[in-house]
Amino acid sequence: MAMEKTDVVIVGMGAVGGILAAELAKAGLKVVGLERGPRLTTADFSGQDELRYFQRQDLRPNAKRQPVTWRPNANMPAKPLPILNYGNQAGGGTVHYGAVSWRFHEDDFRVRSHTIERYGVPAIPKESSLADWPLTYADLEPFYDRAEYELGVSGKAGNLQGRKIEGGNMFEAPRRREYPLPPLVADQSGVIFEEGARKLGYHPFSTPRAILSQSYGGRASCTYCGFCQAFGCHVGAKSSILVTKLPEADATGNFKLLTGTMCFRLNSDNSGRVIGVSYYGPDGSSNTIEAELVILAPFIYDNTRLLLLSKTRKFPNGLANSSGQVGKHLMAHITPRVFATFDDRFVNIYMGPSAQKHSLDDFNADNFDHSGLNFIRGAQISVSPADLEAGPIGAAMSINPPPGIPRWGADYRDFLAKYFTRYAAVVAQTENLPYADQTIDLDPNVHDQWGLPAPRLTYDWRRPNELARIEFMLLKLEELAKAMGATRVWRSPMGAGAPGAHHEGGTRMGDNPKTSVVNRYGQSWDIPNLFIIGSSTFPTMSGFNPTLTIQALAYMSADAIVNRYKKGPGRLV
Amino acid sequence: MTEHNPGRRTFLVRALVGTGAMAGAELVPAQNNEARKETNAQLHSETERHGVFFNRSDAAIVSAFAERLMPGAPDKPGAHDAGVVNYIDLALSGAYADLQDFYRRGLAQLDAYCRKTYNDTFVRLDTARQDQVITALEHGEATEFTWPTAQEFFNTIRTHTMEGMFADPIYGGNKDFAGWRLVGFPGAQPIFTRTDMESRQAFKRAPITGL
Repeated sequence: MAMEKTDVVIVGMGAVGGILAAELAKAGLKVVGLERGPRLTTADFSGQDELRYFQRQDLRPNAKRQPVTWRPNANMPAKPLPILNYGNQAGGGTVHYGAVSWRFHEDDFRVRSHTIERYGVPAIPKESSLADWPLTYADLEPFYDRAEYELGVSGKAGNLQGRKIEGGNMFEAPRRREYPLPPLVADQSGVIFEEGARKLGYHPFSTPRAILSQSYGGRASCTYCGFCQAFGCHVGAKSSILVTKLPEADATGNFKLLTGTMCFRLNSDNSGRVIGVSYYGPDGSSNTIEAELVILAPFIYDNTRLLLLSKTRKFPNGLANSSGQVGKHLMAHITPRVFATFDDRFVNIYMGPSAQKHSLDDFNADNFDHSGLNFIRGAQISVSPADLEAGPIGAAMSINPPPGIPRWGADYRDFLAKYFTRYAAVVAQTENLPYADQTIDLDPNVHDQWGLPAPRLTYDWRRPNELARIEFMLLKLEELAKAMGATRVWRSPMGAGAPGAHHEGGTRMGDNPKTSVVNRYGQSWDIPNLFIIGSSTFPTMSGFNPTLTIQALAYMSADAIVNRYKKGPGRLV
Repeated sequence: MTEHNPGRRTFLVRALVGTGAMAGAELVPAQNNEARKETNAQLHSETERHGVFFNRSDAAIVSAFAERLMPGAPDKPGAHDAGVVNYIDLALSGAYADLQDFYRRGLAQLDAYCRKTYNDTFVRLDTARQDQVITALEHGEATEFTWPTAQEFFNTIRTHTMEGMFADPIYGGNKDFAGWRLVGFPGAQPIFTRTDMESRQAFKRAPITGL
């Protein structure tokens, strides 16, 4: 059993942890990072191996050893989810992600106020716990800028200081300057998506991605190999935390990374402060670190789980939970999609970065008038391969064949043989509203490899607002696919209520300690030397992928810790 | 389907793949069109060998089942051509070892169902009846199944058949890139050029390549 002291301990070395580690270590703080997975290198990713990385999920948590359970409601039994959609190594999800890197819209930060202003209070579903963020887009803009430039994001501006620019996302919030790198080259699915969307009067553009379109910061540019989402990049062109912030943290001499370690408790004293963490080592040993500052940065489940596991007499409902809000307002993206096949051409969608290749934002957020529609908020729409990954195993597993074609046999073989190179999926990624009864807690029956209770999700997206939005989007997707020149268009079936990708919530941020867990900096209202940073703090989720916003929040929190908290530890708000 | 004629494209066959890396790589002998005309009973029960996990009889059943899911035809490589049963056999002795009992019981239940319904074994049924059996499994209508259920067993064999068709040959299936030739996937290409991305034609610049 090891025991050591440090200034800062960070739990989780992913999108958030890597940024905090580098920034705090550069400011002279001694930082220890805990990471339950290994630290891999670019050399580990030389194998473009769809079975290993896509099908067997090699870069993600093992669903049997690290189970997460789900039930649609509190009256149903919870069962382990078959696939876990987050990272399990240093760099976290940024190692395997599709690197789609959005800034949220201005109204994404004030959904409640904006909705009331435009549509009135009755437009908000009564059961939804819709809330504004305790910060504005303008507050976060400098940190979005920093994340894009320090990490390396490729894209084209659509709103430069208020000036709308054709070819970029004209619905984006104003940015101070262009992206650091030009957009990635579009493959044929992007080209036909662009053509189809223009025909319909929409505003398509190359999706901004943290993938280098040119060499940048000593790193090589993308080779368009297509083994992207679900894979580690074989040339290091994906701007993962593994190749960006962790080397910076190493260079300070103030950073120590402990891999193969599982944090199981935050330790607190009677004064109401955290004093460090306990963790299991790779050999199963129980160890302790004392620290002045504790930062939680794992995937969202473990924020709630660790806070609940760390309850004491002083904190009987779990740490940082005087509001009773820990574990509430779980959100996740749902992705209605249609498949489209083309008889007059090859699409070869296996070429190029594989996630959300080309996009349009006309039906996201409140970018379109919802008057007369029976739902609020929208979805980001893009063209993608079957499961954001473009190999033939993914096609066989994720494309439901069109009506009339079975899932096996000669007709199925001929379908795959003809259309694997001639198909595209058109996908909407919906902004689902927060609901207080969508929760994370501790499963009383299922335990992980360390004997800890599994995180249990209680969640069902099939609510009136969400169902109405999905039907609206499916009609748009079908219209788009036809405008792209598809011979045949058909829908993919929707799932049975389980959460999709990009989970948010559980430790909501806010202005009020009575109704939120943390402030805008991720600082616990109850425990000022405890920070919780990541998408678990999002009050609402946006139709956009969360990672760049998570990273901007990490930069903002790092800035506040280095420039303010370090000089006078205490509440930042 | 002339665009999928494997003869139109050269492909790399790396000598090491299929020998040292995989015990039992020759579990499924290549079939020629003449062999296809034989009855299924002859095709499977007389040609399958003991694998690293499957016994001879189980290998024959899985081989026949997989071939119905992805049947081969002239210029359209199927599960036999790809060595799907070899892939599954190796996976069950390694990465999927926790599914050994799933397969044992599933195959025993399949056998019981076939004997009860048709008074014969799966491999001896003609292809039309084999398809009826598979359909009954897919729809959960086959009796004699408890655990795994008929649908679980069907879905698992389907998944593993697709993996054996399309995973890199290093795993023991997709023999001579049979699955990738079928669908026109060029494999583990390290790079696609701007010209490749601008083409509306099938990719032909480089041969299919594996790990």
